[in-house]
Amino acid sequence: MSSPSQPANNLGNRVRIVVATSVMLTFISYWRAAAIVLNDLASSAFYACGIAEQAVGKSAPWFIVGVMLFSFTVRAVYVESCSMFVRGGVYRVVKEALGGTLAKFSVSALMFDYVLTGPISGVSAGQYIVGLINEVMITADKHGWIPRAIHNLFNGTPQFDVNWTSVAFALAVTIYYWWENIKGIHESSEKALWVMQVTTVMVVLLLGWSALTLFKHGWQHVPLPSPGNLHFTKDSLGFLHRNFPDQSLAQKFGILGIMIAFGHSVLAMSGEESLAQVNRELAHPKLQNLKKAAIVIALYSFIFTGLTALLAVMLIPDAVRVPVYKDNLIAGLAMYMYGPEILRLIFRGFVVVVGFLILSGAVNTAIIGSNGVLNRVSEDGVLSDWFRFPHRKYGTSYRIINMIVGLQIFTILASRGDVYALGEAYAFGVIWSFAFKGLAMLVLRFKYKGERGWKVPANFHIGKYEIPFGMASITMVLLATAVINLFTKSVATISGIAFSLVFFAIFTASELANRKKHAASEKHLNDQFQLLQRDTVERESLGIRPGNVLVPVRDYNTLIHLRWALEKFDVHDQDIVVMSARVSRFGAAAYELAPEQIFSDYEQTLFTRAVSVAESFGKKVSLLVVPAGDVWSAIVQTAKNLESSAVVIGVSSKMTPEEQAFALGQAWETLPEPKRQFVLQVIHPDGRLETFRIGPHTPTMKDEDVLLLHRLWLNITHEPGLENVHHHEILTEALTRFAHDYGAREREDILRDLKRIGNMPRHAGGPKPPAVPLVRKEGGEGFPSSEPEE
Amino acid sequence: MLSLLGTLLVRFLEGMFAVGLVGSAIVLLITFVEDAELLFGREDSHQP
Repeated sequence: MSSPSQPANNLGNRVRIVVATSVMLTFISYWRAAAIVLNDLASSAFYACGIAEQAVGKSAPWFIVGVMLFSFTVRAVYVESCSMFVRGGVYRVVKEALGGTLAKFSVSALMFDYVLTGPISGVSAGQYIVGLINEVMITADKHGWIPRAIHNLFNGTPQFDVNWTSVAFALAVTIYYWWENIKGIHESSEKALWVMQVTTVMVVLLLGWSALTLFKHGWQHVPLPSPGNLHFTKDSLGFLHRNFPDQSLAQKFGILGIMIAFGHSVLAMSGEESLAQVNRELAHPKLQNLKKAAIVIALYSFIFTGLTALLAVMLIPDAVRVPVYKDNLIAGLAMYMYGPEILRLIFRGFVVVVGFLILSGAVNTAIIGSNGVLNRVSEDGVLSDWFRFPHRKYGTSYRIINMIVGLQIFTILASRGDVYALGEAYAFGVIWSFAFKGLAMLVLRFKYKGERGWKVPANFHIGKYEIPFGMASITMVLLATAVINLFTKSVATISGIAFSLVFFAIFTASELANRKKHAASEKHLNDQFQLLQRDTVERESLGIRPGNVLVPVRDYNTLIHLRWALEKFDVHDQDIVVMSARVSRFGAAAYELAPEQIFSDYEQTLFTRAVSVAESFGKKVSLLVVPAGDVWSAIVQTAKNLESSAVVIGVSSKMTPEEQAFALGQAWETLPEPKRQFVLQVIHPDGRLETFRIGPHTPTMKDEDVLLLHRLWLNITHEPGLENVHHHEILTEALTRFAHDYGAREREDILRDLKRIGNMPRHAGGPKPPAVPLVRKEGGEGFPSSEPEE
Repeated sequence: MLSLLGTLLVRFLEGMFAVGLVGSAIVLLITFVEDAELLFGREDSHQP
C-alpha cells in the first residue's frame, strides 16, 4: 500500500496529495432540512398574493393555490435531480445537458432569482413593519395619546413614507447580513427550525382565528379562475398591452389568460430550488429523507401560502385589500379577524415579528445562496478565480459577496420600495431558472446513463425507449409560462435580459481567460503534484500511522502553527498530516465537486507553501484535501478517521482559542460512535501555546479535592464491612448521588452554587470562558499543566 | 403576417401549457400515492 507522504525535500518526485471527494458534513434530519427550505419558500406567502391580485384581479388566490399544487411536481424534478450521482456545479450539469451557452443563461437566471430574493424580502419586511407603526400611530392618535405638538408638526397623524422607509429597512438588513457573511457566519439549522416553529404557531393561530371569523362574519366570494374573471392591468399585460389595449386578451384566447395569470403567481413557489442545496446534508437514508423533506415542504407551503391567499380575499373587504394592504396582506388579514381591536393589533404585531424573522432570514439566504452558486460557477471554470480569493482575515469569498450585495443594494434603491415591481422581476428569475432546470433534467433522461435513485413518475415505453411523459409535462408548463412572462412583464424582461446578458458576458470572458490560465496551471500542477482521489478519508488506505498529528491549514500567509508542529513533533514517531478543508457552504451543495475542482489554484499555492515550510525543517508531511460543509466538522471527522492524537491549529482572527475549542467540541459531539479523544493545540502568532482536550476525559482534580477524597476514604474504611472500599468507589457514589439530586429537587440549588463557584475571583475582571462541553483547557487558571488520563 | 405568427405562437404555447397541466396532474396524483405510502406505509420490519 503506497503512502501519500513523500519527503517534502525531494522535489524530484511529485508530491502526492490525497483528495477526498466525499464531503464531510454534519448530517441533519429531514425536519431540519425542510425548515431550512421553508425559511425561503414560506417567506413568499407574505407578498405573493398581494402581487398576484394587483396583476390579475380578485381570483388571484386560486392561481396561488394552483401554483402551490404545481410546486408538488416541481419538487419531484428536484428530487430526481438530487438522486443523480454527478460531480460538478450547476453549470457543469446543465452544460452536460444543454450546452455551454444555455448553461450560462441558466446560471444567470438563477443568479437573477437569488439577487432579487434579498431585495424583495427586505422591502416586504419593511412594508410589514412600517404598516404596523403607521397603524399604531393612527390608533394612538384616535385615543389622543399623541401630543398635540407632534400632531401639529406632521399636520395630522404622524405617518412614515411606507416605500422609502421600507427601502431604508431593507438596506439596513442587507448591510447587516453583508457584514455577517464577510465574517463567515455559520448557517444553523437550529435557527431555521426555531423560526419555522414560531411561524407554525402564527399559521395555526391565523387559520384557527380565520375559521372563527368565517363562522361569525361570513365571507366574500372569491371568483373562480376562469378567463371572464381575470382583470389585467396595463402593467400586468406588459408588451401585450400595445396590441390589446381593451384588455380583451383573456377572452380572446381563453387559455392564454390563464397562462398570464399563472405567470403572475409563479413567484409563490420561489425557494423550491433550496431543496437541492440541503440534499447533501441530509442524514441516511438520504433519498427517503429527501422525499420526506419535500413532502413536508410542499404541504406546509400549500397550507400557508395557498390558504392564506384565499382567506385574505375572503375576509379583507375589497375597499381596503389592495389599496391599503396589498404589500402586507397577512397583516391586513390579522386586522379583519373577529374580536376586539387590541387583540387584532397584538396579533398583527406577532405577524410582523414572524414576517421580520422569516423575511430577513431570506435576505441572508439570498446572499449565502448567490455566494454558493457563484463559488461553484467559479469552480466550474466559468467565473474567474479572482472572485473566489479568500478574505485575508475571515477567509470568505468577499469579492463575490461584495458584488452580490452591491447588486442587491442597487436593486433596492432602483425599486424605490415598490414590492410589485420587485415581485414581477423576481418571477422572471424564478420561472426561467425552473424552466432551465426542467429542460436540463428532461434532456438528461436521454443523455445521462449513470446512477439515478428516483424518477419523476408517468413514464411509459415505446419499444426499448422510455418516454418521460411526466417530466416533459412539467417542463412544458414551466417553459410555456416562462415564454409568456417575457411578453407580460416588460420591466422584468428588460431588466432580466440585461442582467443575464451582463452575467453571460462575464462568464464568457472569464471562461476564455480561465482556459488559458488553467492550461498553464494544470501543467504546473502535473509537474509538482500528483492527485490521488479517495472517496473517503481512511487511515489505513492513506498509509498514516495512528496517533498522528493533524495540522489544518487555510491561509498560506499564516503557517506558524505548521512550523510549530514541525519543530515539536518527531516525524519518526508521529506522522504529520497537513489538511485543507475545502468548505462549500449552504447554497452550493447541489452536486459534489470533481477532484480537480476541490484541489484548485488556491490549494495549489497553499500546499506549495506548506511543502516549502516542511522542506525547511527537512521533514516529510502528508497532504490531504477534504471537501466539507463546515471546517470544524471536517477537522473532527478527519481526526477521527485518521485516529489522530493531536490537532494543531493557529489562533483564529475572529474567535478566541476557547471559542475555537468550543466549536470543535460541539462538532465532536455530533460525531457518531465510536470516537476518540484528542488534544487540541492552539498556537498564537508569538508562538504561545494553549492546549485543550476534546472529548470526555478524567478531570483535573485540585489538591484539596484529592485530600477531601482521601479523608472520606479513611473515614469510610474505618466502618465495619467497608475496609475494602476504593477511592474510585467513593467518587462513583458521590457522583451518583449528585446526578440524582440534580435530576430531582435540588437542581436550582446546585446551579446556584456552581454559578457562585464560576464567579469566584479567578474570573473576575476578565471575560469568562464559554461553557465548553467535554472540552477541558489545560494549563493556566490554576489547573496543572498535565492531567492523568486514567 | 406578424399577427398570424403571434397567433400561432400563442396557440402553440396554449397547447404546451394545457398538455403540460394534464401531465402534471397525473404526476401529482401518482406522487400523492407514493407520498402517502412513504408517510403512512408499514416500515419494512425485516432485519438483515
